[in-house]
Amino acid sequence: MASSATPLGSPLGDPLRRPNIATGDVQLPAVRDYEQVDREIIGTLHPTVAWFIGLGTAILFLIIGAAAWIYQIYAGLGVAGYNPPVMWGVYIITFVFWVGIGHAGTLISAILYLFRAGFRTTIYRCAEAMTVFAVMTAGLFPILHLGRPWKFFWLIPYPNWRMIWPNFKSPLVWDVFAILTYLTVSSTFLYVGLIPDIAVLRDRETNPVRKRIFAVLSMGWRNTDREWRHFARMYLFLAAFSTPLVLSVHSVVSFDFAMSLVPGWHATIFPPYFVAGAIFSGIGMVFTIIIPLRKWFGLKHYVTLNHLDAAAKLCLFTSLVVGLAYITEFWVAWYSGNKIEQEYFWNRVFGQWWWAAWIMLICNMVLPLSLFSQALRRNTTWLFILSIFINIGMWFERFVIVIPSLSHEYEPWQWTTYAPTWVDYAILAGSFGWFSMWFLLFIKQLPVIAIAEVKEIIPPKMRHGHGRHDQGVEHGGIANPLTAGGPHTTGGTH
Amino acid sequence: MSETPSSTGVKRRDFLKILGTTGALAGCNMDEPGKLIPYLVSPDNTVPGVSTYYATTCRECSAGCGIISETRDGRSIKLEGNPDHPVNRGALCAQGQAALQGLYNPDRHRGPMIRRNNRLESATWEEAAALLAQKLRDARADGSASRAVFINEHESGSFPAFLDGVLGAFGIPAHLPYHAEGDTGAAMAHQEAYGAAWPRLDFSAARLIVSFGADFLDGWGASVPQQLDFANARAALDRAPRFIYIGPRRSLTGLNADEWIDCKPGSELSIARAVLGVGGSAADAATQSGVSAERLTRLAAEIAAARPNLVLASGTTGSGGELASAVAAFNRGAGNVGTTILQGEQIVGLSGAATYAEMIDLVGRMNNGQVPMLFVRGVNPVYSMPKAAGFGEAMAKVPFKVGFSSYPDETSALCDLVLPDHHSLEQWGDAEPIPGVLGLQQPVMDPVFNTRATADVLLVAARADATIAGRFPQATYRDWLIARFPGGASAFAGALTTGLARGAPARTTAARRAVPPAAAPTGIEQTEGDFYFLPYPSPTLGMGEGANKPWLQELPDPVSKICWQSWVEIHPLTAQRMGIDSGDHISIRTSVGEVTAPAFLYLGIRQDTVAMPMGQGHTAYGRFAKGIGVNALDAAPSVLDPRTGSFLPVATKARVTKAAGHSRLVTTEGSARQHGRGIARAMLASELGTPKVEHGHEFMGDASHAFLPGLRAPVANDAQGELGSDLSASKGMYAPDHWSGMAKRRWAMTIDLARCTGCSACMTACYAENNIPTVGAPHQGPQLFPDRTGAGANITRSREMTWIRIERYFEGGEHGENEFEARFIPMLCQHCGNAPCEPVCPVYATYHAPDGLNIQVYNRCVGTRYCSNNCPYKVRYFNWFGYGEPDRPQYAFPEPLNWQLNPDVTVRSKGVMEKCTFCVQRIREAENRATVEKRAMQPDEFTVACAQACPSRAITFGDAAEAGWAVNELIEDRRAYHVFEELNTFTAVVYLQKVNHPAPGSPAPAAAAAGVPHGE
Repeated sequence: MASSATPLGSPLGDPLRRPNIATGDVQLPAVRDYEQVDREIIGTLHPTVAWFIGLGTAILFLIIGAAAWIYQIYAGLGVAGYNPPVMWGVYIITFVFWVGIGHAGTLISAILYLFRAGFRTTIYRCAEAMTVFAVMTAGLFPILHLGRPWKFFWLIPYPNWRMIWPNFKSPLVWDVFAILTYLTVSSTFLYVGLIPDIAVLRDRETNPVRKRIFAVLSMGWRNTDREWRHFARMYLFLAAFSTPLVLSVHSVVSFDFAMSLVPGWHATIFPPYFVAGAIFSGIGMVFTIIIPLRKWFGLKHYVTLNHLDAAAKLCLFTSLVVGLAYITEFWVAWYSGNKIEQEYFWNRVFGQWWWAAWIMLICNMVLPLSLFSQALRRNTTWLFILSIFINIGMWFERFVIVIPSLSHEYEPWQWTTYAPTWVDYAILAGSFGWFSMWFLLFIKQLPVIAIAEVKEIIPPKMRHGHGRHDQGVEHGGIANPLTAGGPHTTGGTH
Repeated sequence: MSETPSSTGVKRRDFLKILGTTGALAGCNMDEPGKLIPYLVSPDNTVPGVSTYYATTCRECSAGCGIISETRDGRSIKLEGNPDHPVNRGALCAQGQAALQGLYNPDRHRGPMIRRNNRLESATWEEAAALLAQKLRDARADGSASRAVFINEHESGSFPAFLDGVLGAFGIPAHLPYHAEGDTGAAMAHQEAYGAAWPRLDFSAARLIVSFGADFLDGWGASVPQQLDFANARAALDRAPRFIYIGPRRSLTGLNADEWIDCKPGSELSIARAVLGVGGSAADAATQSGVSAERLTRLAAEIAAARPNLVLASGTTGSGGELASAVAAFNRGAGNVGTTILQGEQIVGLSGAATYAEMIDLVGRMNNGQVPMLFVRGVNPVYSMPKAAGFGEAMAKVPFKVGFSSYPDETSALCDLVLPDHHSLEQWGDAEPIPGVLGLQQPVMDPVFNTRATADVLLVAARADATIAGRFPQATYRDWLIARFPGGASAFAGALTTGLARGAPARTTAARRAVPPAAAPTGIEQTEGDFYFLPYPSPTLGMGEGANKPWLQELPDPVSKICWQSWVEIHPLTAQRMGIDSGDHISIRTSVGEVTAPAFLYLGIRQDTVAMPMGQGHTAYGRFAKGIGVNALDAAPSVLDPRTGSFLPVATKARVTKAAGHSRLVTTEGSARQHGRGIARAMLASELGTPKVEHGHEFMGDASHAFLPGLRAPVANDAQGELGSDLSASKGMYAPDHWSGMAKRRWAMTIDLARCTGCSACMTACYAENNIPTVGAPHQGPQLFPDRTGAGANITRSREMTWIRIERYFEGGEHGENEFEARFIPMLCQHCGNAPCEPVCPVYATYHAPDGLNIQVYNRCVGTRYCSNNCPYKVRYFNWFGYGEPDRPQYAFPEPLNWQLNPDVTVRSKGVMEKCTFCVQRIREAENRATVEKRAMQPDEFTVACAQACPSRAITFGDAAEAGWAVNELIEDRRAYHVFEELNTFTAVVYLQKVNHPAPGSPAPAAAAAGVPHGE
């Protein structure tokens, strides 16, 4: 195909001015024109009965979780399954789990943007929304797990007459900054990327109230060349700004563990290990979300098997990194000669917690190896099943980090076990309810696939050209969509 | 049960609420009329907020230790040992500490009760006293009084004589001084051989200690003085006596022994005869006891070689009183009397108790309808005698039963008239701790409830009877005591300041009814069953009298570490053979009954024996006792020792089967093994002379730390480097020259493991001093859909709040061998100089004080619990529920238990972390006192609660930065080490290694030799 000649990463020319298009295998052959894009994507926004049922279920779970939390605040944390010295339990596990989920979105939307990975185009919006909601979910848990949650603001530095600041040496304070920063930047990034699409919605909307809201949200986007310039600069800037956050936020989260002297936590490998795990779990969650979504919304020709295949490769890669990290941990424990560390790891894998460790190892290390098979990478059923295993495995990875370490520390007299109670489970379920509620609301209000970016990669409707065969030629400099304006025409037609 | 009368005072909390709202709501009507503070007009010499101290006598057991009650604003808040007292010398056991929870027990009788319509109904004292006086008068008149029986708790002092005086006036025979836990068999043997029922045991003078089931550290005799003397003896290190324990089960005392000889129950006598050289061959003994003849021969040689020695024998082993007599005769023959057995300093309170035979005789008389009237004071025989003895059924046949118990126990539930006695801390009295010394007992506060001292009640009854009134000129027992006190009222008042006087109490002259000797019981070998059954008194709950005190229920048994529960001890190999797992229910069936309890797999018991603690399984006795566990005595036959007439608990075999069901053990134990981590270290006595080698650097790359700098280096005081920094000039209250600057101090502690016996008195002292909530009561778990219920639900989740805990590690015996060693180590906040908990707290709720304390600010804590995660010693405790909030089911101090709360210590709220503070309130009080008195603090002028109570004197607290404090000398001891030194925590707690004494000539056990550096 001619498009294979696309000079990706070419040192020639100004990459910014080039459409953010992909390699040939993530082209969208079934998407022919802009109008189809508008029609099909905006068409997904109509609420359906199934959607209402889903939303109702999500809210029900949220209410269950909220009720459990209220009970927990009233009665005390003792209603959860804490078993000292296992002082952290399901809440911290779930916190790290959701923060991890929140990393795939930014990775896909920002890092892959910078790397010009074409397969991101149709999945990044979904991933980014997932990120924002996952971080919103994760942010609840550090508060939720406090003994006195009504005092959570003491972790925030604010001027007060007592002149008492938070302890900036504490990784928990770093967490506050990391999470808040990440939430701010990722939601900004999501919103900025949405602006041209909101403008499309505005133009298509007939309900005056909604039209007005979209008008405000689109900031009066007029699709001018100047706006596009600013937009592109801004988007690039935010992508560059988000990129280090992808690495730093989960590094900071890992410091919660790595900065302590608990056996199994106190390890220098934790930051890269956590980042890889986060991306891995995030991609798993992307699969969990996007595979049903592309089916139910009829978007299979947008999120093609090629897209999934490419994402699965990323998944496989991060799985290998995570697996390497696991093995490195074991190796370092052995090599350190530190008996306490060795006994801890033995207990983790062959002792008290063998079942959790093996769930983790099998789900995160063994099963993803199946993605070496192209057939399986392109099998959506398998991808979906695998993604569920990855979600479970990554939750258990955090379980294996948090629980076995605390239950098997220095002082053998204080070795214990741990068993969550219904309150833990209810709040865990509630977090899925909370996340799903936001996500479900999002997908019926705003386009789950970036309309503007999709339009970039389908051939513009040229007066003298018919279809994408011309595209490769046009790259010669005839019709740069950014400057020609065509693909971004809000109406979709001339 | 009536409500707490509001007139008894207003809670402190309410007082503060009222103070807080008075300004805003001046003139508003308040719902709760009453006294704002206990004293509206305070007595002279009392200052609100400043404690008054009253010396009195502990009556929790009959030893009669001297105690000092710290009384604040009219309420006793803490009991401490009286340092001048000859018996306990300033120490106090857990039971003594917990007397306060007897005083403030929320289930105490509120007032007198009379049985009407087959129900005990509240009455006024006038009605109750009139009924008593009338019954006594009638009995005297018709002569039935001569068949009436008064059972009193066995105690020393004048009350027994006074009581017999009153009883005699009515024509009632002398009372029965009953002591369920007392070893009357041994006392009788001692009396015969030494001329003193319970001589002082001078362990220091002995070169070898041999105990035949005599648990002198946990209940056999007077455990506090015995423990003091034992610890002193062991603290001599290389000159310390070796200690051999002989018995089927290793009790706490047995765990303190260097060697355990596990003989069959009932074979102790044969061993004693063989090894003490009083007839009997080693071969015979070996056959009977299951111990090898070589071992017995070696033991005999060792005993013969070690002179003077001290051989002790319990009268309640399977061999009964004959063993005690044989051993006492040996001591006499071996010249130990006067050297290791000091009969002149005997514990008077342990002599003269009624035997079990007298109680059984009484049961027979009650069954035959020969007892028209029964009085019971201070004891609970319906519970504490075996069910097979049938005391309860017999008592029900007595027409008129009077109970003086202050508690709703099993016995008072059967009574027709309940005249609740004052608690011992509310009444006058005296005791005779050792001959020639009088320990005085005085009320330390006003009565909590509408109770009356039994002595006064009896006086009222006697004076109401015109015929005998003339014999009782004094209106109150206090007047009676003063009248016979040499020097009268002023001398009496003077003596009260120390609680001690020279003199003797009144002595009873009335003789008790003679009881014919019992027939010899069936030998234990002749009973039916596959296991020996060994019920034993609980070291914490005794024979059940401690079960209504949450401190004692929550205090883990020193051996099993189980609390709030009954358990069956079974050997791990036996359990494996029977397919029994820890916590599986085991049923023990004997000829008289069956008990079922979860299994505790214990190395220290013979493989053919099961043991069970007594003290649980109450059917009454208040919310903390009722329905918890089972009573081991339900399966114990009522067997009398033919020689001494005492009760033989170890008298039968039992059929032991695995029962349906499984319970989580309510235990505080995690792993009983140290895994070579050097936590509780020990060394051999022979190694004491070798130069000290620094250990703890086994980790590669770990820098060596000089020992003392670890404690005294600047880093220890200033781990964060704040004080030395120029930037600290603007630190406000953190500045080093701030008024609170005390950087020159470094509070530190040493714990001598050669002294520590694991008795756990320090734990209860800490609970008392620091308002630590108990969390194991049945109602303290989660309430909505709980997954764990019942007593100890929180503790099965390790949520106990023991600021100081005693860890009990085993060394050896990995494969079930009986050669194993137990090491006890008190673990508390180490007040690290470089504390891992401090940097991780996001809100500075825990930080380092300039005087080396690791401070926990409850008000600032938000409850992230990160500090606990990062604490290698795991000594931080979290408030999972609102244990301190009265309106919650988990409330740990139901009125009036909250009266005991120390006003100097915050009651922590839900959701905050807490831990040992090194009794910071005592430190600040001492500092303030020195400041007010315009002087410098004197070395050792105060100490912390655990050190103060410790009956082994293992704990020493002081300032490591100022010469003169005792702690300075100890931290330079050859045996000193820090736990987890390799973590650079620079702890302020220094442990001194335990010293083991292997058998002479035996090769040093490999485990003990290797155990020097790292405890394995």
